[in-house]
Amino acid sequence: MPKFTLNGQEVEAKAGQTIIQAAGDHGIEIPHYCYHPDLPIDGNCRMCLVDVEKMPKLTPACTTIVNEGMVVRSDNPRVKEAVRGVLEFLLINHPVDCPVCDQAGECRLQDYYMVYGLHTSEIPLGMKVRKRKVIDLGPMVVLDQERCVLCSRCIRFFDNVTGTGEMQFFGRGDHVAIGTFEDRPLDNPYSGNVVDICPVGALTSRDFRFKCRVWFLHATNSICAGCSTGCATRIDHRDGAIFRMIARRNPEVNRSWLCDEGRLSFHELTRSERVIQPSIKGSDGVQTPITWEDALQSVDQRLKQIRDANGGSSILGFGSPSATNEGLFLFKRYLTEQLGATQFEFRIDSEDKKVLDEEDQILRHFDKHPNSMGAIKLGLISDDLDGIDGAIRAARDGRIKAAVIIYFNPLVRRPSDDEAEGRIIELIDELKYSVVLAAHKADWHASADVVLPVAAWSEEEGTYTNFEGRVQFAAKAIESAGDALPIWEVFAMLIHASGAESRWMSAENVFATMTEQSQPYSRITFEQTQLPGVVLASC
Amino acid sequence: MTKILLANTDKPDQASIGKYRERGGYKALEKALTMEQTALIEEVKASGLRGRGGAGFPTGMKWSFVPRNTNKPTYLLCNADESEPGTFKDRLLMERDPHLLIEGMAIACYALNCHLSYIYIRGEYEFVANTQQKALDEAYDAKILGPSLMGKDYPLDIFIHLGQGAYICGEETSLIESLEGNRGYPRIKPPFPATHGFLASPTVVNNVETLASLPWIVQNGGAAYAAIGTEKSKGTKLISVSGHVAKPGVYEVDLGYPLLDFINNEAGGIANGRNLKAVIPGGSSVPVMTAAECEGALLDYESLLKAGSMLGSGGMIVLDDTTSMPETLSVIADFYAHESCGQCTPCREGTGWAAKILKNIVAGKGQRSDLDLLLKIVDRMEGKTICPLADADVMPIRSFVTKFRSEFEALCAS
Amino acid sequence: MIEFSPEAKKRFQTILSHYPAKRAALLPVLILAQHEFGWISQEVAEYVGALMDYPPSDVLSVATFYTMLHKKPAGKYHIDICKNVSCWLMGVNPCIDEIKRKLEVERREVTADGKFSWDVTECLGSCGTAPAMQVGDRYYENLTPAKVAEIIDRLRQE
Repeated sequence: MPKFTLNGQEVEAKAGQTIIQAAGDHGIEIPHYCYHPDLPIDGNCRMCLVDVEKMPKLTPACTTIVNEGMVVRSDNPRVKEAVRGVLEFLLINHPVDCPVCDQAGECRLQDYYMVYGLHTSEIPLGMKVRKRKVIDLGPMVVLDQERCVLCSRCIRFFDNVTGTGEMQFFGRGDHVAIGTFEDRPLDNPYSGNVVDICPVGALTSRDFRFKCRVWFLHATNSICAGCSTGCATRIDHRDGAIFRMIARRNPEVNRSWLCDEGRLSFHELTRSERVIQPSIKGSDGVQTPITWEDALQSVDQRLKQIRDANGGSSILGFGSPSATNEGLFLFKRYLTEQLGATQFEFRIDSEDKKVLDEEDQILRHFDKHPNSMGAIKLGLISDDLDGIDGAIRAARDGRIKAAVIIYFNPLVRRPSDDEAEGRIIELIDELKYSVVLAAHKADWHASADVVLPVAAWSEEEGTYTNFEGRVQFAAKAIESAGDALPIWEVFAMLIHASGAESRWMSAENVFATMTEQSQPYSRITFEQTQLPGVVLASC
Repeated sequence: MTKILLANTDKPDQASIGKYRERGGYKALEKALTMEQTALIEEVKASGLRGRGGAGFPTGMKWSFVPRNTNKPTYLLCNADESEPGTFKDRLLMERDPHLLIEGMAIACYALNCHLSYIYIRGEYEFVANTQQKALDEAYDAKILGPSLMGKDYPLDIFIHLGQGAYICGEETSLIESLEGNRGYPRIKPPFPATHGFLASPTVVNNVETLASLPWIVQNGGAAYAAIGTEKSKGTKLISVSGHVAKPGVYEVDLGYPLLDFINNEAGGIANGRNLKAVIPGGSSVPVMTAAECEGALLDYESLLKAGSMLGSGGMIVLDDTTSMPETLSVIADFYAHESCGQCTPCREGTGWAAKILKNIVAGKGQRSDLDLLLKIVDRMEGKTICPLADADVMPIRSFVTKFRSEFEALCAS
Repeated sequence: MIEFSPEAKKRFQTILSHYPAKRAALLPVLILAQHEFGWISQEVAEYVGALMDYPPSDVLSVATFYTMLHKKPAGKYHIDICKNVSCWLMGVNPCIDEIKRKLEVERREVTADGKFSWDVTECLGSCGTAPAMQVGDRYYENLTPAKVAEIIDRLRQE
């Protein structure tokens, strides 16, 4: 662990770290463009030049490994002048696009200019090098060659992370431009990442283009609910609408990357109508709106009737691998403790196997639910039933009379989704009594006896357990629709309606109880679910 | 003057192996093969030979950086990318005495334990490469090269690899990148080619003239070579002289020979009865010298450095008093802007910007403030880049503008 | 569908055999491709990419770095005339004007008969015999406008 002096302070670096990494670990940001913690080092932007005693020339902090006793300054006039010089060079051919550029507000040229530059441009507009603008690179990315600072992050991403090599430099000297062969669209499942890593507005998101100025957006830390990988994300939203989702760096799970499908998965939330009120099927067979209080009373009473007549084992709890741990925990608790239910399932299409199945070598898993592992750990599987097919059979045979079903539309769609949804419909048709908790409306809701509106992903805070058993916290970004409530809150109220003690006021409260009651979760704390999350011991 | 490199270049059929051997060729290689590899390296160190491509780094020292106990192959790459404006000496050596280069390379390869070697020849020299290839074929036929180097149990292959028009590929790490099949982007150092060069293996890059000096050094000993020249500049150097002289061409001088003597004697003095105005002694990348600064300057590394310039590649360009210095500088600046690889910010943007400003000045559209802007630009470029191409643009710009400022000002509006 | 001629295919194999890593052969293969096809078009880049097993973007990226690889069609005789210091000092500009006058096309444009294209280039290493220009693998040195005209006329006959 080499000790060195940085701007007068003694700092301890990890073995093999470069100056820029060690500085970053100690809260000192050395300005840079081409350096990225998850990409190979290039050292071409020259923005991170620092003054190392005994080295005659300024040296890039990203290529220089810390040695014991090094004396480094990133803040003296020599360095500041050099950095300003580099910035000036980057700006001479940069187009004055700020008013129309999406990057404004989170642009490193702007940001560093305010700190290191504040100079007047000394190049007349007519002398600037012109390059091509607004190049369509497919569904995710728009390229503007003029804005590019040639940091090569995008090139290194496609060369090293996806291995597809679509983006390259073409030309030489100050006419070098990045691009794809023949302007071909980017055709890999991770192309959107280059928008995240582009430090300027050269690569921008087609989906987000011109939609909102970034300074109007609020940022909320979340976890992607697109599959069982559980990539760390940041949801940017305004006035209850999500505008984009970008990656948060979690070296343990997704590094700095997201897949394109996951990145855009928030659009599914607004794709169809929401369930906004509880409803109950009347004697005429039609669903009519009802208050929460009445709905929960009715549900609790009816389920208890069925329990009394047929035993607790006649009530099935069919959870969703897209629900939070907190939601599933109280779901199970209500059914077991208040109704003596013994049968639980969540599997429609072998999620317990798919959860570990990698769809590619980079990030994605085949299981398009964020919490299958959570459902497994919370015991929502039955060896007898072995999935929904067994449940349908049991219902047909009369062994199961009623079910409380949680069903979410997947946020990342696959052709088999409709078939999966069809199994739920089959199950409901065989049941005497069904309660459905859903966020989005579906025609088959009409077949259920009670429909309760619940919050979808991003509309509640909670934890998810990813494929490797890592429990990660996602905060609430936007409000849910109408009278929808988080699932945990619905069951907290049901437990109360059932006459038992119900003191949970937050997801965190539920989490605490979960760690007391559920063995797999017994050794973790709520703080640990913050980045990078915590892996359950039993995994 | 000692004739080491140009001893036979004017003799008929020197390019053919028969004549080459008749005139003593390949005897040095024979001798080298009887020596220990490490002893050879010591001999080269003792000679004081410095890289003749432009950087002037001590050759023996460069060789000694190569690890001897490595299980990776070691490569010797001959830098024949000669593209420094004003320089045409390597071309002459390869055209007229290609076997001298082969012999020098074979000696170097043997000393470095290298079995596979390449001559990176600039693409424009295709016709030169053909001559060099003929000589290589002759060497293979004579079993000098191939599975056994002159009969010794030591395989050696030498191939020619053509560039395709990129000055930057004369920088050793850029050459290696280009040889690897990539864009010629110079590499961050460390690591150095001696440990991580071609295909991440130990590599030495040497200039044609450097390698061609080796046979004489082996035959006569390092000490004999060191006896020629000055304290820090040993041996002889090829000077390619062009511009406003009566006898442009390639000449071999003992290092330490007075610059003005060279211009007036070997180069025949200023042509057309004009007067000397300025000299660029070592290729366009070195600072220009005024006629006054040439007084007392010697053609060697240290003296020219003291005089404010550099020996560089020895590509001397002589300018008479009809020369417009601003126009000359504009031509030079265009070169660097065109040849900048574009990898790092200061060079990519700075060379282009400076060239445009100079174009404006020459067209009479410049301002006096542009001159200070130029000096600021070069300050911001110098020493901040991955490779010295930016510095090679800085030297001429700074020296021309500073030493001939009045000429520039005359073209500018106030 | 473009393809190397049988001779070029043989030459391709020979080139590969000179290098311990396939990638190192890329530039010589591009030179070979230019000989075969005249210039490095998108199609040629794709063909070389398939041959060498690299993405075409990668191949074209390398090709666009090197001035001597044509990125648009060139004439049968492509003239590269040096515009660097010594050639400029020794009077290359009138020679360049002569080329423009004789060929009547701009830089990097091809004459109507497909015979000529031209461009300015950097130092050719003929400084002592300046001005100089290159056509294919031939240097023409000690130029004057008259000589330039003569050379063009001669090449036109060939």
